[in-house]
Amino acid sequence: METQNFEEKLLKMTKPEVNQLKHQDMLADAITNAKDKSVVSWWWLSIPLFIIAMLTMKSVYMPHTTLISNIKELKSQQPVTSVIFFLIVPFCLIIFNAFSILKIWSLTGDHKDSNSVRAIWVNGLMIFFSIIILIFYAL
Amino acid sequence: MKLNWFKRAGIFFLPTSIAGWLILVAGIAFAVYSFIDIDSRSHSVSDTLINFVFMLLIIGAVYSLIAYFTSRKSK
Repeated sequence: METQNFEEKLLKMTKPEVNQLKHQDMLADAITNAKDKSVVSWWWLSIPLFIIAMLTMKSVYMPHTTLISNIKELKSQQPVTSVIFFLIVPFCLIIFNAFSILKIWSLTGDHKDSNSVRAIWVNGLMIFFSIIILIFYAL
Repeated sequence: MKLNWFKRAGIFFLPTSIAGWLILVAGIAFAVYSFIDIDSRSHSVSDTLINFVFMLLIIGAVYSLIAYFTSRKSK
């Protein structure tokens, strides 16, 4: 009788089920970290973008000046500030955001959901804006 | 050492501890001080606003950087 009960119990037993994989935790952490990084990137990118917007307005309202001439003037008058905001900050942000994208890309593999795609897209946008700022500085 | 001074809400970091609130209040106080300082030296309203927005962005960037390193990483 006992043997029969034990056999029934064995038949009912299944493999231990893991609802959430460790890999999913790592992916969730990577996406959260990428979102946090994109927020910080956005704040730091807003400074050179604001300067470019102000220089564009200056070139529109002041005769005989262009955006390129205004950027050159900024570079000569504020060499340290321009190097920090137009060279060091975008360069660092490109590296940090690229690492975030690589991490999410490697963790998701072929199964990219909407959250990971969105995080990759936002980080890519930050890299795009950083490249734009570097181009403006190189002009 | 894991610090839980801030939590992210959209593009802002909200304080969740006394240290976080102190940093936020210090940032706001510095912004007010810089507005008064810029306003006393500027020649027009647009001059004040352009310089103040620039200073505000710098304060926001530094605040977000501090908050990023001291925020709780939610799972």
